[in-house]
Amino acid sequence: MIPASFDGLMPVVIFMGLAVLLFFGGHYASVLLAPKKPSHLKSTPYECGEQPVGSAWSMFNVRFYVVGLIFIIFDVESVLMFPVASIFRELNDMGQGGYALIIFLSFISVLIEGIAYCWRKGDLDWVKSFQSSLKKETK
Amino acid sequence: MFIQLLFASSATLTVGCALGVLATKNLMHSCIFLLGSLMGVAGLFATLGADFVAVTQIMVYMGGVVILMLFAVMLTGGKDFISRAQNLLGLPSSMGNKWTYSVGGLVGLVLLLTNIRLISNVMNSHAPKVIGDEYPSTVSQIGHLLVKDHVLAFEISSVLLLGALVGAAIIARPRKQK
Amino acid sequence: MNQTVVSYLSQYEFYDTLLALFKNNQGALAFTIYLLLSLAIVGMCATIGGLGTYAERKISADLQARIGPNRVGPYGLLQMLADGVKMMTKEDIMPFTADKMLFYLAPLLCLTGVFATLAVLPFSGGFIMADLNVGIFYLVAISSLVGVGVFLGGYASNSKWSMLGGMRGASQIISYEIPVTISILAITLLSGGMSFGTIVGHQGGLPHEWFIFHNPFSFLAFFVYGVGALAETNRAPFDLPEAESELVSGYHTEYTGMRFGFFALAEYIEVFVVCGVAASLFLGGYQVPGISLDILPIQAVQFVIFMTKTLLLYYVVIWIRWTFPRLRVDQLMAVCWKYLTPIAIFNLVGCAIWTVAFNGKSIAELIFGGGH
Repeated sequence: MIPASFDGLMPVVIFMGLAVLLFFGGHYASVLLAPKKPSHLKSTPYECGEQPVGSAWSMFNVRFYVVGLIFIIFDVESVLMFPVASIFRELNDMGQGGYALIIFLSFISVLIEGIAYCWRKGDLDWVKSFQSSLKKETK
Repeated sequence: MFIQLLFASSATLTVGCALGVLATKNLMHSCIFLLGSLMGVAGLFATLGADFVAVTQIMVYMGGVVILMLFAVMLTGGKDFISRAQNLLGLPSSMGNKWTYSVGGLVGLVLLLTNIRLISNVMNSHAPKVIGDEYPSTVSQIGHLLVKDHVLAFEISSVLLLGALVGAAIIARPRKQK
Repeated sequence: MNQTVVSYLSQYEFYDTLLALFKNNQGALAFTIYLLLSLAIVGMCATIGGLGTYAERKISADLQARIGPNRVGPYGLLQMLADGVKMMTKEDIMPFTADKMLFYLAPLLCLTGVFATLAVLPFSGGFIMADLNVGIFYLVAISSLVGVGVFLGGYASNSKWSMLGGMRGASQIISYEIPVTISILAITLLSGGMSFGTIVGHQGGLPHEWFIFHNPFSFLAFFVYGVGALAETNRAPFDLPEAESELVSGYHTEYTGMRFGFFALAEYIEVFVVCGVAASLFLGGYQVPGISLDILPIQAVQFVIFMTKTLLLYYVVIWIRWTFPRLRVDQLMAVCWKYLTPIAIFNLVGCAIWTVAFNGKSIAELIFGGGH
């Protein structure tokens, strides 16, 4: 048998290595085969045929950031729930199903509270959140 | 052989990309170097046999925190994200004075000594035992520990995350126009 | 201890003769087997990705009463080769305003994220490269690299269309990861493990033994997973990051030639992967009805069954693309946060209660008693 320490890791690393190899191989092939006739107009960013105006790197709306923040919280919660979920059945077979259920549900209920709060306060709305929250505050 | 190679490449990736984060003056490039560094850390966890922690590292940090950072950089806008030329001595006073630096240096020293103490323990014990005998895998061990020994921490962590969620929502909400 | 394809093969006699060939160097033999099989899988998936582009056009042509590609090879089957050659011989153009390093890096991140998921995809009982203990969790985690790749692709081009597409793409991918992860949690809970071996092993070959028909909640979870997976792979009706009618081509507007090809390849392989995951999580995976023997020919049958289920789902994905209109951005976010996530949490709670209340039995076992 192979040593236990690297049994599952090797394929993962090999696949990542293959991705990198394919990437550079493809680049190399395109360097060999593709024509190379650069011109200034060719390498302007596409703006429907017009002269590009300014840079695309401008300030973006804060709503993307909000989505990212809420995502991370849920991400961490799901990371914490994964080990518990994977032994849930085992605990149930050992006759501790009720105990496990209470722990699991109390954890999830806090999660539900969080999403309910964000929903209620309009943080989950994509468009209306700004207008509606401003309206509430001006009242 | 393989595990040594993996360790060497992960460690190189971690340290090299961390240096890249410091060296580059472009914020976006820093973020991507950080991504590589975190990937290296995940590889280090994997070489230790802590598969769950390694995947958590990938999931939370590479898939979550780095994207959040990229979004945060996009919030700042501006023509380009090249930061002003700075070095340690020429830091603006808004980033601290000699008192904050000395307190920070002291804390750093304590942390360094603690880390050396911890690492020396690990170095002395050969072949660290990762999984207890009664558990088939690290995941099962973590799960059992979470619902039995550390159930209070598990439940409180959800409250902590709720606090973080509410805080995040409030901070990101638009202020009253004045 | 993770089950891998090498540890599976090592129970057969020919493994020992192979080992003798390698002078009893276990590591070198394992590496060789892994490398050859990964090359085979990558080749197969690249072919499937290529055929996916062909199938996409052919099926869309069918749905719109057109003929579709029919010139290159029989029925136009070699179209993908022609496309591949075309991509390689196209000039590589990079906008002069672009961030050069990130412009190079973005397709690599997409490609790595997708290829790494192939390591845990269960093609058959033995032919699974690494049946990691954290299998499905690993798959969810590593595929989030695609989100970073999409964002960087949009950012680095420094074109307005790309930037909008990249921002939309990243926020869409991370948002829809939540309902997908919670649906997967429900299945983890039912099967009692995260490794694909455990998950598929708890199902049977016949539909009533599949997790989709295990209980009403897992039935719902399948559709939540399906919708979320469509959105995560940027497929229509969730193809806002590359919405051709509003964003030209989204995050890969500025990409040409081979680099564009990598984005497309990664996308089509990712669709294959999410279909394979759906098949193994909910539809019984590689399980053969009525046979519990474990001999080498059975592996081939299992492989065929897995591929059939996956490719049928692939067909459904393409079918959906040409049937539904695209969502608006605000609708997209509303669907994720206000419908799918609450439903997914409801499913998770339902599955937990079901497991405790009926001791993990499925509906069929409750009705017909005993089970298998």
